[in-house]
Amino acid sequence: MDAAGQESFRAFVAGRSSVLLKTAVLLSGGDRHAAEDLLQNALIKAAGRWQRIDEPEAYVRQILYRQQISRWRLKWRRREVTVAELPESGAADGAAGVELRLVMRGALARLTARQRAMLVLRYFEDLPEADVARILGCSVGTVRSTTHRSLARLRELAPELAGLGQAPAEQLPSRDFSPVEVRP
Amino acid sequence: MNVDELVRDSLREQAAEQPPLAPGFADRVLDVRRRRRTRRIATVAATTAAVVALAVAVPLLETGKDEVRLASEMNKSDIIAHPDQSPPRDLIAAGDVALAAYFTYSTVRTSKDTAVRQRTYRILDQRTGKYVEDDRWSMVSVAPGMRTAAVLERDLPVKRIGLLDLLTGEVDRWIPVERGVAGVAFSSDGGKLVATTYNANPDLLTRQDYDSNGDGKKNDYEPDHTTSHRTGFSVVDVGSGKADWRKVVSEDRQGIVNARQDFAFSGDGTSVYTGLTMEPHQQFYDLKGRKVPTPPDERYLHWSVDARLSPDGRLAAGDFAGDARTTASWILDPRTGKHLHKVRGQQLLAWVDNKRLIAWDITPGDNEFHNALVLVTIGSDRTLPLSGARKGNDGAAGRWTPVFATR
Repeated sequence: MDAAGQESFRAFVAGRSSVLLKTAVLLSGGDRHAAEDLLQNALIKAAGRWQRIDEPEAYVRQILYRQQISRWRLKWRRREVTVAELPESGAADGAAGVELRLVMRGALARLTARQRAMLVLRYFEDLPEADVARILGCSVGTVRSTTHRSLARLRELAPELAGLGQAPAEQLPSRDFSPVEVRP
Repeated sequence: MNVDELVRDSLREQAAEQPPLAPGFADRVLDVRRRRRTRRIATVAATTAAVVALAVAVPLLETGKDEVRLASEMNKSDIIAHPDQSPPRDLIAAGDVALAAYFTYSTVRTSKDTAVRQRTYRILDQRTGKYVEDDRWSMVSVAPGMRTAAVLERDLPVKRIGLLDLLTGEVDRWIPVERGVAGVAFSSDGGKLVATTYNANPDLLTRQDYDSNGDGKKNDYEPDHTTSHRTGFSVVDVGSGKADWRKVVSEDRQGIVNARQDFAFSGDGTSVYTGLTMEPHQQFYDLKGRKVPTPPDERYLHWSVDARLSPDGRLAAGDFAGDARTTASWILDPRTGKHLHKVRGQQLLAWVDNKRLIAWDITPGDNEFHNALVLVTIGSDRTLPLSGARKGNDGAAGRWTPVFATR
């Protein structure tokens, strides 16, 4: 990387790293250290081809997501995630929104990296399913089924959520109903 | 409220709570990137740097064939340079040090999803003074005096260490080891070897399920930065072949592990050290495998800077000291870490004597990867090219990595 490249890289990191870190923290299930490592590795990759990247933020985000999933995939065993609050049952009622969110946070931390990545893309980044599929390099059907399974898993992990409904627009099928090209 | 809304709210709340990153994150990223690039050479070259440190030239094996003179002894010129050669073909040397070998990397697929980052060595043929490819070895460490090299065969980890005669090109002796070895390095006097043991090949790569290099193809293989298979080290007495194994697993935090992180001897050979990916960047162990404090002279060394201590022990090779447009490196006081001198060079590779070093350097303004071996001198801005410049960018096929030893 030449001097101008380093300058623009520094400017990008100074301007966007805190936003990117938020995504990394969510992907890491709230583990700040793991998030900084994840972001650092993604930025190292981006630095390697800095002057050939048109949209650095989109590029780094894509690496964040895919790296997180592939790092998880590579491990022998699923890594135990430490969480500040255990998703204990009983304490929350419908009015205690704060407590419910804490319970949810604990449950999110216990999902697999892939499940969490889907939810972060769908609900934090608010991306349509097609965009999620493109970013993660999978089919729309996989996005739907993984999202569905992830929400079901959250309910299993935190029984307090059992009373909550599901958004009408998100009646997600457990099978892949993505369009299939039919040839005569 | 439904589950979807709660997920959304929880994620947003958690994101909003995050304090910003500490200033200097970009520099940290660039620094780690630079270290990772140099790490590939550090593994082997750092071990030879330890050999260089005391500049003791001990012919290792008494073979009785010494009537044949070594090519590195026949030409005693202070500087033997071939600035037109990249990769080198004929002996390169300066002062007490010579380029004993060099290697190139290639990615060799072993299955649909795995590959091995394999080295191919060109070792100095001591009869002809030329570098000759020898693809039998996955790892080579050259002893001081450049008569003998310790070699490991392909398919790491292996259960024996070869002692290769650089005059005949044949293995004189095999030293069996109890635990699988994938790294090997001589002590500075050539009397001992430290062999790093692993229970899986540390050079194994896995195919990534995304397009890492952005060429439109999902065909990129990378090492696993999450798991270390290092088990410890064996200290081998070269004379008797006796080897004692010590268990020392990686202490790196999970998620930022170097799959290959070999041990090397400290300058005086009484302890071994390993690099760490995070502060304090190095950890020393005695030869029984017990943690010991960093020797006072080596406190300010970094394992990725290969040159380490000057032959008289009074100076330490330091890190990059240039800026965006210039290349330079620090020379430090080993006891205090004080910056004593700034010399030319991107990266300090080996001390030639107490005033001069061999370094990688580029023509100012040129591509940072197109570096050549140069001789740099404390107190002088002049550099003397010793080899031609490497071509291609980091990771390109055919880029060579030097291995130095005292001649």
